Amino acid sequence: MTLSLSRRFGRSIVTLALFATVAFLIAPIVLTVVASFATSWTGVLPSGFVTFENWRAVLGLADTIGSQRSMGWRPLFSLPLGGERLTVLVPAELAFSIGLALGGVLINLVVGVPIAYAVSRYEFPGKEWVNAVSVLPLVPGVILGVAFLRAYPDLSATSFGLIVGYSLLKAPFMVMAVQSEFESMPLRQLEESARSLGASWPRTFLTVIVPNARSGIVSGAIICWALAAAEFNFSYIVWAKGTQPLALFLQRHISNSSFTKAAAAVSMFFFIIVAVTLLLQRVGRRGFDTRGS
Amino acid sequence: MSDRHAENSPLSTLRALTARVVGAFETVANPVTEREREYRRIVALCAPFSVLLFVAGLYPLSEVVRISVSTAQYRSVGFSLDAYATLFGDPYYRQVAFNSLWLATGTTLVSVGLAVPIAHALEKYDLPGEDLLVTLVSFPISLPGIVAAFMILVLFGNNGVVTAVTAALTGARPTDLAFAVSVPGLFVAFVYSMVPRATLILRGTYAEVDSAAEEAAQALGATPFETFRYVTLPQIRPGITGALILTFRTGLAIFGTLVVIQTLVVWTLQLSRELGVGYDVQVAGAMATVYFAFTFLFTVLGLRYTSAEVGI
Repeated sequence: MTLSLSRRFGRSIVTLALFATVAFLIAPIVLTVVASFATSWTGVLPSGFVTFENWRAVLGLADTIGSQRSMGWRPLFSLPLGGERLTVLVPAELAFSIGLALGGVLINLVVGVPIAYAVSRYEFPGKEWVNAVSVLPLVPGVILGVAFLRAYPDLSATSFGLIVGYSLLKAPFMVMAVQSEFESMPLRQLEESARSLGASWPRTFLTVIVPNARSGIVSGAIICWALAAAEFNFSYIVWAKGTQPLALFLQRHISNSSFTKAAAAVSMFFFIIVAVTLLLQRVGRRGFDTRGS
Repeated sequence: MSDRHAENSPLSTLRALTARVVGAFETVANPVTEREREYRRIVALCAPFSVLLFVAGLYPLSEVVRISVSTAQYRSVGFSLDAYATLFGDPYYRQVAFNSLWLATGTTLVSVGLAVPIAHALEKYDLPGEDLLVTLVSFPISLPGIVAAFMILVLFGNNGVVTAVTAALTGARPTDLAFAVSVPGLFVAFVYSMVPRATLILRGTYAEVDSAAEEAAQALGATPFETFRYVTLPQIRPGITGALILTFRTGLAIFGTLVVIQTLVVWTLQLSRELGVGYDVQVAGAMATVYFAFTFLFTVLGLRYTSAEVGI
C-alpha cells in the first residue's frame, strides 16, 4: 500500500488526460482563428499578420469568383428614411441559415415542450417508449435526406423542406433541455394550485407551467438553433440550387479555398457558436449542456 | 398506437380491435372520469410531436423502404429483392459495412475511454477554472463534421502544426509525416467529434455517484484505483453502457467528415454516392433501410438487455 501506483500517479495521469484532450480539442480552433488573419500558412506557423483580406473575401466585401466565391449580399428590407430609402443588406448565406434554423426552432417549440411535459408530469403505459422516441434521434441526416427526396421530391429542396427536416433532426435536444427543467419543478403542486384557483387545464399549461420553465425552453431553443444552423448532412443531400445553407458554404470553402480563407470561413462559424454559448450561459447553463447539473 | 397489424387477423379479432380503437377515441373525445381527462391531456400533449414524427420521419422512411423493393428506377412498382441481393451478395458492400462497423466501434471505444477520465477529473477533482474547462470540452459538440475534419487538417495536414513541428524537430519531409488525409486521420477526426458527446453523457452519470461510499472506501485504506474499480465503476456502469450505445450511433451517422477526408468508404458516404448519376436508387433505398433497421434493433436490444441509461 505504501507503494500504491494509483496513489502516487493516478490523479496526475487522469488530470493529464483531461488537459491533453482539452488541448487537442481547442488548439486547432485557436490556430484557425489566428490563421484567418494571416496572409499565408506555408511554414511552421502562419505568417504575414495582420490582414483582414480573408475575412473580407469570405463575408463578400471583396471580389471573388467561382467555387471560392463569397457570400452574396441581398437586401433584407428597405426603410423610407427622410426622403431616401435606406436598404439594409445582409449576407445571403448567413441570413438564409439564420432564418431556416429559426423556423426549425419554432416547430421544435410547438412539438417539444408539450411532449416533455407529458413525460415529466404524467404516468401512463408506454411512457418509457415515448421518452426514448422523443430523446433519441430517429435517423441521421443522410438517411433523412434520402427519405425526403423520395417522399417529397418537389418540397425537399425548398426552404420549407429544410425547416421541417431540421426540426425533426434537432427535436431531441429541445425535449431534453425542457425535460430537465420540468424535472426540477414541482409540476403537480403548480398544476393543482392553478386548477384549484379555477384555471382550466389548457390555461394552466400555457400561463403557469410554460412561463415557469422559461429558462429551460430558452436554452433548448438556443441549442436547437445553433445545431440547425450547423446541420450539414441533411442539407448536403437535399439542397439543389439557390442560396446555400451556411454549412454547405463552409464545406465549399474547406474543400476549395486557400487555407487562410477557409480558416476565416470556419472562424466566422466559431464566432457564431461562441455568441450562442455566451447567450446560453446568461440563461444559466454551462455551455452546451442539456442536463441541469 | 394499437390500430395496426389488423389486416391478416381473423374477422372477429378485427372487430374486437376496432371496437377497442373506437372506444379509445370516444374516451379521448368525451372523457368522463378524471383519469380519462388526464389520458386526453397526455394524447393532446404528444400529438404535435407525433404529427412531426409521422410527416417528417415515418412516412418518408416508408417511401424509402418501398423504393428499395421496387422493380423500376424512380417509381415504386412491383416487388423485388434485387437491391438487397446486391447489398448482401456483393463483396464491395460487405467491405463498406465492415469499414463502417470497425471505424465506429474503434472510435467509440477510444472516445468513451477518454471520456471516463475527463468526466472523473471534472466531477471529482477541484480543478482551477473548472467551469471554463467544461465549456471548452463541450464547445466542439456544436461543430459539424466538416469543421472537425478541418481541425484535423490544421493539426496533422501537410501544413498542419503538429506535422510542421515534428518535421522541424526530426528533419523529415512534412508530406511524409502528414496523416490527416488517411485512415488514421479519419479515425482521429471521428474521435474529435465523439469525445465531447461521450463526456457530456458521462458527466451526467458522475453527477449521481454517491461520494460518501467512495470516502468510506478511502478511509478504510483502499487505493484510489481500488476505490474506482470497486466503488465508482459499478455505479457508473449503466452510464458507460448508455454512452457506448449513443456514441456508437453518432459514429455510424458521421458523414460530413468523410466528405472532406474521403479515404475510407463507409455506409453513409456510399449511400450519398448511390444518389449520383449512374447509380442505383433501389440500392440507396435498401442501404437506408438496412441502416435504420440495424440502429433501431441495436438500440432497442441495447436498452432492453443492459441497464443502460439513455437520454444525453
